[in-house]
Order: sequence, then C-alpha cells, then structure tokens
Amino acid sequence: MTPNPETSGAPPRPFRFRRHLNKLRWVSLVAVFGLLVLLPFLHLYQTYMAAHAYDLLAPSETRIYDAMEALTQPFVSDPAEDLDALKGTTWSGTLFGFKLSDPLAALGQMAAGFSLYGPFLLTALVPIAFTLVFGRFFCGWICPATLLYELNTNLGAWLHKVGFPTGGRRLDRRMKYLVLALGLVLSGVTGSVLVATIYPPAIIGREIYYTVALNGFGVGAVFFVITLLFDLLVARRGFCRYLCPGGALYSLLGRYRPVRIRRDASDCNDCYKCDAVCEFGLDPMRDDFGQECNNCTACIAVCPTDALAFTLRLHDLPYQGPGHLGRHYRKGSAMPIESAEEEVK
Amino acid sequence: MIQRRGFLQRIGLGGGLLAAGAFPYGLARLLAPDLPVNPRTHLRLPGALKDPAAFAAACIGCGLCGEVCPPHCVRFYGREGGDRANTPYIDPENKACTLCGKCMEFCPTEALTVTPRHQIDMGIAQIDRAACYPWVDKGICGACVSICPLGERAIDFAMWNQYRPVVRQGCVGCGLCVEVCPHPSLPIRVVERTEGSVTRHRVS
Repeated sequence: MTPNPETSGAPPRPFRFRRHLNKLRWVSLVAVFGLLVLLPFLHLYQTYMAAHAYDLLAPSETRIYDAMEALTQPFVSDPAEDLDALKGTTWSGTLFGFKLSDPLAALGQMAAGFSLYGPFLLTALVPIAFTLVFGRFFCGWICPATLLYELNTNLGAWLHKVGFPTGGRRLDRRMKYLVLALGLVLSGVTGSVLVATIYPPAIIGREIYYTVALNGFGVGAVFFVITLLFDLLVARRGFCRYLCPGGALYSLLGRYRPVRIRRDASDCNDCYKCDAVCEFGLDPMRDDFGQECNNCTACIAVCPTDALAFTLRLHDLPYQGPGHLGRHYRKGSAMPIESAEEEVK
Repeated sequence: MIQRRGFLQRIGLGGGLLAAGAFPYGLARLLAPDLPVNPRTHLRLPGALKDPAAFAAACIGCGLCGEVCPPHCVRFYGREGGDRANTPYIDPENKACTLCGKCMEFCPTEALTVTPRHQIDMGIAQIDRAACYPWVDKGICGACVSICPLGERAIDFAMWNQYRPVVRQGCVGCGLCVEVCPHPSLPIRVVERTEGSVTRHRVS
C-alpha cells in the first residue's frame, strides 16, 4: 500500500481552483433550489401585505409574514412592488427585472402554436448564448431537478452498498433526441406545450409553488417520483441521460461549445476515477466527453494528478493513448522492444 | 423472403423506438385525465386569448401569473386538466380577480396580453333574480354593487327599485361580486359573454 502523501510529510498538492469547482456547483444548485422554495413564501408575504390584513392572519400565516419580513426588510422598501424583481422558476422567470426563459419553453411554444412571438423568444436568447459557449451547463449547475437526481444517485450508491439491487443499465444516449422530436410533434398535434409536462426543472419549479402557496402538489410531482425510481432501478441518472428533452436540446446547442474539459495525457495515470465518478457515464479517461458532458466538474475534482482541465477548443481530442504516468504507457516507453531484444542477446 | 423479414424487423424496431420515445408523454398524460370542469369556477384570466385552444398553445405553464397575483386568486389545472394541465384559471367563488393587471404584465408569452381594464373579457356577471335577497324582497344588500371595481358601468341598482342590483354591459367578469355575495347559493355568477346569456338573463 502506498503511503498517503498528505500524511507522510510529502509536499502538499498545489492549490488548483478547478478542483473546487464541483463544490461551487453544489452551492449553485442548492442556491437555485433554495430560491425556488423561498419565492412562494415571498409571494404569500406579498399577498398578506397587499391585503393589509395582518390582524386577520392565521397563526401559521403570521409566522410566514414575520419570517419573510425579517428576511427582506434590509433589502426592500416596498415589498408589494420590489419583491416582484425576483419571480418565477427556471422555466420562465424574472431575475432582477431581467426576463429569462428556458430555450425548450420557447421551442415547445413555437411547436404548439405554429407561431413566433418575438418578446418571448428574446427571453430565451441569453440562455441559448450561454449554452452555445458552455454546453449543457444548465443541467449541471442550475437545474433544480439535478440536485434531487444527484442526491438520488447517492442514495442509490448507498442502497447498492447494503445489497439492494440498483440499476446500472446502459441505454442509447440518442433516445433523448427522439423524445425531444416526438415532444415537439405531439405539442403541435395536441396544441399544448407538452414538453412542459415531462421536463423535470419545469415540474420541480411549479410543484414547489403549488405545494407551498396553493393546495398541494399536482401531477408533476407523481411523474417526478416515477423518474426518480427509474434512475434508481433502471439506469443511473437515466432520465437526464436518455429521456430529458431539455437535455437533448442543450446537448445539440452545445455540440460545438468552445469551453470543454480536456485530459492532459502527460499528467494522467489511468486511474479510472474520472470514469467511475461521471454520472452521465462518459469516458473522460479516453477523451470521450462529447456533447453530453454537463460540465459538472466531478471528474476534475476527483482526478488525483490534476490531469483534467477546462480548455478552449471546438472539438474533443481523439483518444490520446494511455496516460503518461500510468502503467501501460511506462511499460511501453521505459523498455522499448528493440532494447529488450538486445538485452536478451 | 429475407428482405421482407428485414423490412418487418425494421418497422418493428422503429415502432418500438417511437413507443419508447412517446412513453414519458403518455405517462404524463395518463396521470392527468381530461375531466369536465365547472366553467363558472374556472374563469380565464384577464387579458387571456379568447380561443381556449390558442390559449392552451400559447401558455407554457410557468406559473408566473399566479406568483405575481396580489390577491392570490390564480389557480392551476391539476389532475383534472388533461391538455390544459398547469394552465391558470380563476375561481371567483374562492378568490376573485381585482383587475390589477400584474399577470398580463408578467406573462412571458402572448397567452396573457396587456389589455385596458374596460376591454378585459373574462365573462359577464349574471344575477339569479329568483334567489338574490333584494330581488326576492328578503332585505337590503348591495354588496356586489359596492365591491365592483368598475362602478356603475358594470353593475348598478335598478331604476325602479334602488336596492335591486342589475348587471350592465360594461361588466368584464372579474368575479369580485361572486366572492362577496352573502347568499349561500351565490345567485350572482360569471358566465360566458354571449348573446344568449345577455338576453336570457336580462343583462341590461
């Protein structure tokens, strides 16, 4: 067993910011999810404000009112108006007065109504631009469903450890493009934005609102639980990888993204940790990221030799061969065939 | 023979793929069957597209209209909605619209478009003159008239009896009168603004 360099007095590894991006990503996911939980409460607070009826509130409502008042007092002067700056979900919403929509919402609405509505399409432009540059970053960094799906993966790993059979099936990645295409066709046929009914971030956003501010969760929550079971029992992160129409759209948009993770073969030791940690079942160790990579940076965080990093390239490198620190490469180079034959002679 | 088998296999594979791709949509649709709803408790929002099909195609179900509504009156079709699932409606018997116009302002799509207050069309109020307290001489009420945000162009007292409310053509169907009506059977309600209802129910 090799001694751990961090405890055996060897110089510590240099600080690399990219190794901590994964933590930053979790902060981002939790922040988005927390905001989606907070916003319905803020809305309730606004309605109590608008009604001028503090004395008529039920005790539970008074608690919400007081908590939200304490939370927002330092930031807003007129809650009934100022809190409108932050509204909605990742499906469509207002971020400090700036309207943003999911590109899939724009596409689904175009397909459902056979029409273009400029002001709405404009709100999807910024997300599209970011996706063109960073690929599927929405899936890894923002999507409120990703938080639950990743926790679900961790639960699956734990269940696997205690002997519960969890699914590790591999399906065809191209399945989701079919789901996207069928969703758009069916939206046109039924005349309603059908992709919204199966797109997890849209479901999560509105179901949290229904649960907090209205009479309880609806159909979407049931559907979402089914997808969680699918991930647990059939394929790890299966919905995102094989079925999500939004993931398909982002993958297509991010196909030629300039910002992508690259393996530096001279630093790689073929330890296989990146492949094992990749929730999307990609193959970073053999330079296979493709359009599916959601920039979650888990492989960067886990790499013991810091061989993975973001670079500016329009294409992935073809397989660079085994890592130069690994056993396969050293066997080949330290003792080339000619010299070995000479030794035998 | 072999060609035909290959052809059939290909068709089977394609069909299987299509079925698998459509499965999530089918599942979501199965969870939300299309059940009949009471139109009087499911009003469309102010500024909504008149054609229900056009509205269903334009609305993306983001819920912003509900999230900005100050009186918190916007509800959403759930299980009963079918293809309308997650689209908004207003139930005036529960909580009525105050015509503040925030939902129209915030709606990202053309499903709700900013409309001047008097041109909003959510329906028109209709009074059941066989139940309304003043109309059956059971007392003096006038709650509907005093709550109306549009004033006497929408609802007013009858000329010949200053206690009996009468709906006028200016009513936009916000439903506030329904919310405040003290009668348990709600003799005032919001119906579709069609020729028939105007004449039959004597909206003057």
